[in-house]
This record gives sequence, C-alpha cells and structure tokens, in this order.
Amino acid sequence: MLERYAAFFMKIGFLEVSKSFIQDNNAEIKVVQALLPLSLSVSEGEFICIIGPSGCGKSTLLNLLAGLEKPDTGRILVDGVTVNGPGSERILVFQEPGLMPWMTVAHNVEYGWKLQGVPAAERCERVKKYLKMVHLSQYAGTLPHQLSGGMKQRVSIARALALEPKVLLMDEPFSALDAQTRDILHDELQRIWQETGTTILFVTHNIREAVYLADRIVIMTAAPGSIKNVVHVPFAHPRKKSSTELSAFSAILHDEIKQEVDKVAAKELGREWLADNKPPIPGETSADVGAGI
Amino acid sequence: MLLGIWQWLSSLRLAPSYLFPGPMDVFRSLREMAADGTLLISIRLSMGRMIIGYSISIVGGLAIGLASARSRLFKETVGSLIMALQSLPSVCWLPLALIWFGINEMSIMVVVILGAIFSIAIATESAIRNIPPIYQKVGRVLGARGFVFARDILFFAALPELIGGLKIGWTFAWRSLMAAELIRADVNGVARILQTGREFNDIAMMLAGMIVILVIGLTVDLAVFGTLERKIRRRWGLEK
Repeated sequence: MLERYAAFFMKIGFLEVSKSFIQDNNAEIKVVQALLPLSLSVSEGEFICIIGPSGCGKSTLLNLLAGLEKPDTGRILVDGVTVNGPGSERILVFQEPGLMPWMTVAHNVEYGWKLQGVPAAERCERVKKYLKMVHLSQYAGTLPHQLSGGMKQRVSIARALALEPKVLLMDEPFSALDAQTRDILHDELQRIWQETGTTILFVTHNIREAVYLADRIVIMTAAPGSIKNVVHVPFAHPRKKSSTELSAFSAILHDEIKQEVDKVAAKELGREWLADNKPPIPGETSADVGAGI
Repeated sequence: MLLGIWQWLSSLRLAPSYLFPGPMDVFRSLREMAADGTLLISIRLSMGRMIIGYSISIVGGLAIGLASARSRLFKETVGSLIMALQSLPSVCWLPLALIWFGINEMSIMVVVILGAIFSIAIATESAIRNIPPIYQKVGRVLGARGFVFARDILFFAALPELIGGLKIGWTFAWRSLMAAELIRADVNGVARILQTGREFNDIAMMLAGMIVILVIGLTVDLAVFGTLERKIRRRWGLEK
C-alpha cells in the first residue's frame, strides 16, 4: 500500500531504510548503526537539504540513494523503481571534486556519456553546453591540476549535470571552499537548479546554506541517524543571501540543530564538556521549533 | 677523469695487459664487434627476448595484481604464493624450464617472464590499494563497471605508482635474461659476448660486453622509464 503510494506520488521515496556498518578495530569488531529505519519522500524538482551533526548518517543516506551502498532493510524508490546499484539518473557530487587528473576538463565532463556509447560529436555539444553553464567554457582543454578549488568543483558539477540526471545528489560539495567562492557557487547552483528543474538532495552542516537553497530541510538526529524534523522553507526562489528573513529563519533552526550537535559533543568530549555547558535534556525544549513555520 | 686513471693504471703494466686491459683496448674490442655485426645481432636477440617476455609479464602482472587487489580470497591464496616465489631468483627456474619446455627460446622466455611478473603483480596490487577512494566512487557513480572500470579508472589512477613497479620489473627481467643467457652456452645474445670473451681469454671483450649490458640497462631506466615517469607525474599534477 505504502509502496503504491510511493510510486504514484513521489520522485524519491525512502521506505523504512536502515543501514549499519561493521567496524573492524583490530581488537574488536562491532556493528555501528548508521541509520535507524527512516522514511522520506521527495517530489519532482524539489531542492532538499539534509542537515545534522557530524556522523549522523547524512552522507550514508546519499550513498544509499546513489547506489554505492545497499540498505540493510527497506527500499529506496526513484520514479517507482527500486534503486539497485549506481545509475546515470542519480549522480552524486562529492566534497572533493574527484576529477580524473589524467583527463582534460572536457574529457572529465563527457566521460559518463562516453561510457554510454554516445557519439563524439554529440558529446562535444554537451560538453560545451554544460561548461558554459558553470562559466568554464574556455577551460575545456585544461588539466584539472591547473584549476583552482572552486573551478574544480564547478567542473565536477558540470560533469554531474552533463548526464542530465533526474536526481542530483550533493554531499557537502562546497564545504572545502572559501567563503567567497561558496557564495558564487550557491548563486550558480540556485540558477542551474531553476534552469534544469532537477531534483536535488544536498547534504550540508551549514544552516545558512540550507536555508538559502532548500525548499525543505531535513534535520537529522545524532547517530544513529533518524529524521528529527522536516522543515519547509517558505521563501520564493531566487533568494537573497542578505535578506533578514533568512537570517531569522536560520537562527530558529540553529537552536534545534544545536540540541543534536550538543549530544555528539557530550558523547565525544564527556564530563569536561558537560561541566562547562548545561547538558541538553531531550524533551525539555520543544522538539518542533521550526515545524509551525 | 676515471677513464684517464684507468688508462694510466693499465699503462703502468702492474699486470699484463691481457689480464688488465686499458680503456683503449676495450674500445677497440667494442669497435670490432660493432664492425662485424656481432654487437647489433646480440643486442637485437636480447632485446627481442626482453620485449616479448616483458610484455607478457606486464599483462600477467597487471592481471594478477588486479585480482589480488580486488579479491581477498585470491590475495590470500595466489597472492601469498607469489610473495614467496618473489624471493626465488628467477634464473633458478631455468633447469626446470629446460626440462619442461626443451632447450629452446621458450625456456629463456620463461625465466624473463618469471623475473618480472611477480614484482609487477605486487606493485600493481599496492598501487591499486593506494588509489584515493574518490576516483573509484566517481567512476562507479558515472557508470564505469567491470573491465571498463579497471581500464579507465583503476589503471590510470594507479599509474603514477605503478610505473615505479614496471621499472623494477624491467630491471629484474633484464638481470634474469643475462643470467639465463650466461648459463645457456648454446644461445646468442648480449651475455654471449662475455662467454666468448672468456673462451678466448679476451678480457677486453668481456669488459666491452659488460659495458654494453650496463649501457642498455641505464638507457632504458633513465631514457624510457625516467621520461615516462616525469611525463606522468607532470600530467597528473604531482609535480610542476
């Protein structure tokens, strides 16, 4: 019944998906629960940001959707079809650009199409189109190591977009970049998203980034990860970074996420940290701060 | 300068010149061999064996290395066997190869192949294990699978480290070939020059042969592998 519903009404559906890893620390082997069974549905063309403390399984969520990992339980549906391994309709962009250093920028961008046997002439057209989209047209013949960090990440986005995926997955794609470059890329991404209408799932730990980009923000709990809350961001695109509404909204979210970050900090830093800070008591503050907005 | 000292030492006649020839004698011997074609024929024969044997080693070494990098079972069975065999100088296979394959080119080729294949396999395995995981993830996300994945992603991502292994493999193959040619008195080749020199008590000729062997080894090491390594490192952006 749930699956029927999923197939009809949503672009992406996580149905009771859970994941654990085996951690092998020489002496002891233990099973770490990365994700508790969680469900989430995403509609076509939506921009979703996933936010949460480090180690909460938000990257795992994307890896599962990209098909790089298999869920322990549950299913992931894209257009009603169960995800089973990587596919060109779901492309993941990583924190590192991951450009193949032995290929030129153009070869990097067209590689996915080459694998699918698209003829060279058509590939060339696409390379032009997508390099233009990220404003790197004149760098087609350049080698990756000759580019700056921000340029590399733009090539990696162009490479993902060139496959015209139904779903674009981004795992903290801008977190290794400096603030100015990040601002530029936020604007570019917002524009590209509006141009292409691609569904985007974007993992971040930057609240302002999430508020600026997302239609909905998925807030995750500290490990083992589950969905704490899903917040709708009620501002129309394109948004302005400087807007006071965005700042106010970020501040509200900040409190909610802080609780989860505190849990992680308490676990990692132990008593020392607890002495300096009031320990968070789940349930004391309203867990649904952002929900009513 | 060293050549000058050598010439001076030999001109002192501390030992008779047939036991300790000067560089002029060695050079004369080299020129004679070049003139009557011995040198060219010997080099061509030895290099022919090297090219065939080494090529087979590369293909085999890459395949074994890939298999042991990707499969734990393969690594723990074949991989550990290879580790053990690596310690055995490949020329020790010659007597066995002579019986198995007969007194022919094949038995020499086997020694060359076994000289290089294991070190290439071990280098391949470690190069693949050291590939930054991001390239593998990106390759899979973009849709590369199976053989195409190994050829397009693993091979190139491993290449900067792999080239060092290929170079060592070449050196091992070259040493194995020289040993095999020396033992096999019935085949021609560069090492044959040493044997002939010994048979005629012609030390100048033996030294000339040693110089040829050394020069070929150095040339391939520096000119071929050195250039290749530099080009790869520059293209990959590992050095400017």
